[in-house]
Amino acid sequence: MNRRNFLRSSALALSGVAAIAAALEPLRDLTDYTSLQRFFQKHYKQLTPQDMERILARITTEVEKQYKIRPHVKDYKPMDGVEFVYCLNLTRCIGCRKCVHACVQENNLSRDPEMQYIRVLKMPHGSLNPEEGDAKYNPEMVPEKGFFYMPVSCQQCRNSACSKVCPVKATWTDSDGITVIDYDWCIGCRYCEAACPYFARRFNWKKPEVPKERLNPNMSYLGNRPRMQGVMEKCHWCVQRTRVGQMPACHDVCPAGARKFGNILDPNSEVSYILRNKRVFIQLKEEVGNNPRFYYYFDV
Amino acid sequence: MKQNAKTSLVLLALVFVFLTLATAFHLNLWGRQGPLPRIALVDTNFLSTATARVSAAELFSSPGADTSDFDCYACHEKGKAPTIRYDAAGTIIIPTEHKDIVMGHGTHGRNNNCFNCHNETKLDTLQSRDGRELNITNSPSLCGSCHGPTFRDWEAGVHGRTGGYWNTKLGEMTFKACTACHDPHHPKFPGRKPAPGPNPLHPIAAKE
Repeated sequence: MNRRNFLRSSALALSGVAAIAAALEPLRDLTDYTSLQRFFQKHYKQLTPQDMERILARITTEVEKQYKIRPHVKDYKPMDGVEFVYCLNLTRCIGCRKCVHACVQENNLSRDPEMQYIRVLKMPHGSLNPEEGDAKYNPEMVPEKGFFYMPVSCQQCRNSACSKVCPVKATWTDSDGITVIDYDWCIGCRYCEAACPYFARRFNWKKPEVPKERLNPNMSYLGNRPRMQGVMEKCHWCVQRTRVGQMPACHDVCPAGARKFGNILDPNSEVSYILRNKRVFIQLKEEVGNNPRFYYYFDV
Repeated sequence: MKQNAKTSLVLLALVFVFLTLATAFHLNLWGRQGPLPRIALVDTNFLSTATARVSAAELFSSPGADTSDFDCYACHEKGKAPTIRYDAAGTIIIPTEHKDIVMGHGTHGRNNNCFNCHNETKLDTLQSRDGRELNITNSPSLCGSCHGPTFRDWEAGVHGRTGGYWNTKLGEMTFKACTACHDPHHPKFPGRKPAPGPNPLHPIAAKE
């Protein structure tokens, strides 16, 4: 090879290499390198108690390293004889969105990029069609005349479309009625997001960011531990609270007392009282057949 | 010779194009969304589980609280019913000493008479519709004497706010008195400024 040919072919080769490097450039955004332990981790349902202990220890160290706060991560199992149901009083909801932000705070949702499990829809009077709802309202004062407010989050369906379509069974409905996600098993294909009729499932397009001062250290494996880029997440009725007998964060913060939560298998619970005595408009999009555990009702 | 020169020219042009593309991608000249404005953290007032008001029951049970508003006999004579003055339309005129009270109880102000709820001779107690004398902190019994269905719902935990535990074997479920949320003189639940709505991820959606 002579000098000219050498120079020509090396210029070509270099520009080819440069073009390949440019094409691979988006990989620079990949910040979440998975650990080997996490890569070989089994599905939640196959984990032994020892496996779970090791996993919880790993999560504790990861969170401590990132946030400098030592969390308390536990795996909460569903209680026996319990099936949760959530009732929301549409006569009382004033659309203040406190539930949205209480949920964000309790469950360590990403602040920027923003993640909110609950969407409050401003509905015109006379309509029960969620497609006519407006989630972006921002008036000076709520409630506004002529409208009512309907917060929508995961309906924890009895016949959920999301668990049916998941190709890897990373999401399923537990015995207490809550549909949970194993974040370490989810592959991020977003079939569940496509299948859900309520836009309840959220995808982490970027690495979630939670400010240190607002981190909730009381975490659960299936619930509010910090998620990673590329996995799905959704409302899980605060498993870290409800599976120890407490109410979800949205329930406790609602100033109008529009939210009611409890065990439907207990005939003395508030939710049993509501379903027996109130004008319940049953479920959103009931014709789709998911049979949600979330009921909206009216007082008068 | 000419053929060789043409090939070299084409190859040189390709090299130039590839290098330009490489620079463009590396410097993010196009194909990337611009940075969105930082989303501010929500005001912690929106995260508070405090009730809209402080009920008399809570006021009396919190140490060091200022209960001077409930000291009726600082001004009124014991055993003497205060005189109510009415204007030409028959509406009660709120005296200037009680000017912070805004009356608005019932449609068309049907329940705006002070002595419908307050006992005329014992001003620090309340009287229900059926004549029972009630403690000033006992708003549920007073309000429930007219608002029966609401009271029944409240006792079941369905009206108003409950807190604590759904599983009463593990902890208590707490109830709130009526006046923790409703101003007894103007009971309609007040409106408020809503917390901020959703911020979209994409700048195009942000412009809508």
